[in-house]
Amino acid sequence: MTLRPYLTAFGLQWKIGLRYRIAVIAGLVAQMWFGAVTLMAYASVYHAAPDVQAPLSLRQAMTYTWIQQSLFTLLPLGCLPAIGDAAKTGAIVYDLLRPVDMWNWWLSATLARLLGNAVPRAILLACVAGPLAMLVGLGAWSLAPPADMAAAALSLLSITLGALLSATIVMWWNILTARTLSPLGSYAVGTPLAVLLSGMLLPLPLYPDWIRPFLLAQPFAGITDIPIRIYLGTPIPGGAVTGLGLQLFWLATLTLLGRLWMRQTVNRLEVQGA
Amino acid sequence: MTQPPARTLSALGLYRRMAGASIVAQLRYPGTFAIQAIGNFVTTLLGFFGIWSLFRRFGSIAGWDIGTVAVLYGLVNVAFAVAETLGRGFEVFGGEYVRTGSFDRLLLRPRSTLLLLLGHELRLRPIGRFLQGAFVLIAGLWLAPHVQWSAVLVLPLAIAGGAAMFLGVLIGQAALCFITVEGLEVVNVLTYGGVEAGQYPLTMFGRWLRRFITFVLPLAAVCYYPALFSLNHPDPLGVPTWIGALSPLAGFAFLGVMVLIWHRAVAGYVSSGS
Repeated sequence: MTLRPYLTAFGLQWKIGLRYRIAVIAGLVAQMWFGAVTLMAYASVYHAAPDVQAPLSLRQAMTYTWIQQSLFTLLPLGCLPAIGDAAKTGAIVYDLLRPVDMWNWWLSATLARLLGNAVPRAILLACVAGPLAMLVGLGAWSLAPPADMAAAALSLLSITLGALLSATIVMWWNILTARTLSPLGSYAVGTPLAVLLSGMLLPLPLYPDWIRPFLLAQPFAGITDIPIRIYLGTPIPGGAVTGLGLQLFWLATLTLLGRLWMRQTVNRLEVQGA
Repeated sequence: MTQPPARTLSALGLYRRMAGASIVAQLRYPGTFAIQAIGNFVTTLLGFFGIWSLFRRFGSIAGWDIGTVAVLYGLVNVAFAVAETLGRGFEVFGGEYVRTGSFDRLLLRPRSTLLLLLGHELRLRPIGRFLQGAFVLIAGLWLAPHVQWSAVLVLPLAIAGGAAMFLGVLIGQAALCFITVEGLEVVNVLTYGGVEAGQYPLTMFGRWLRRFITFVLPLAAVCYYPALFSLNHPDPLGVPTWIGALSPLAGFAFLGVMVLIWHRAVAGYVSSGS
């Protein structure tokens, strides 16, 4: 088995993600705005209720929000745009004809697209929200450093798994798109699920206590929530091992089931166009 | 000898026809429409679930009861849904009219460009946001302790003023496209970001943000002050309550300024050619 075709697919989508520099700046401004509004809301909520024992301190909630904002484009919001177009025009047949494993082919393109979008934005926002905010005297509002060296190393490993997991979930949206021949459904389903279940809307540890175990156990928590918890050093029941274990479990399960679903879909795929 | 046209439609009649055609077109695919409207409803309802979870954990949002916050949330979402329904033509203006040069065709027609762009599409999808905003608004009025009877007059005025303000933002965004050609996503800070900021009480924010959403974008005038007036809730910052009965007019003033800017921008339009 040769890796080259998959690396090519990866490289192509990675470059597409990096091409839109103005979009990166625009995204940065939008993320700073949403971050600022959310942070001010949390700050006044925490200050008004000083004796409530929250699972996250205010500083941790702020850091959580910054990391979450900077990784927004890493979330599985919908299918890969190129596959959406291919499904609409019927160009999807070309993918079927390629002598490559289609799951890996699409997965490498998807992963590159997510990383190409997310990595520049994350680095930029981390610089603005971290050191720069410290310099201009907004230290209390800034991105806190990781809990310790071990947390830093483990969260790096965990976010790598998170990116893979996100790409695997996008693969499910891709198959849904190939099945329904339109990308709209995947966005209608994917965006609300990803925004709520990944902790983008509200940090998962802040939800009511009875629902928190379920929120931790579902696959979307593995994308950004578990890496951020490891980074902050906030307790996960069973420690970082549980977190990484959950990520690996979902990665394996979603890949196996996804491959089955893909085979079934490809076998009875009807293609639009001539 | 050329005959003068027997009958020209009034502006309202013309708009009604364009809107009717647009509605028929959207209902051609009832399944897609239903999925999108439901997706819209669920996405926006989840937004309120996040706020509700904060209430569950902290008891109040910085001393504000859930009724007041629900009224704010409902007001801003209903107003934005109305603007989104009417202003789709301005939202897609850069990509669909300026870049392609098809704005030239609109200029040849003996009608106001604003009217023609309003008629681009009467979008039905925001009905999801509208319904859930109205639902939260009514629930908030039911929960809040001191609802005034005058709310029956002030809240519709506030919704109209808010819709005018968001429509003004969309028109301003379209006017900006004459310079930038493609639409800039930064403007989303004022639309989606405005909705995000409008759903929290004004006092939660830092001074720079308070000033921005009071004097630059009159968001507080169409949302926060009318809500205080309707609920007979004194303003912690000391602004007299009666202001809220008149302040929604600022939304119309904002729309007026944006229309002036639009006419300026159209006068200086240079086609990109086709």
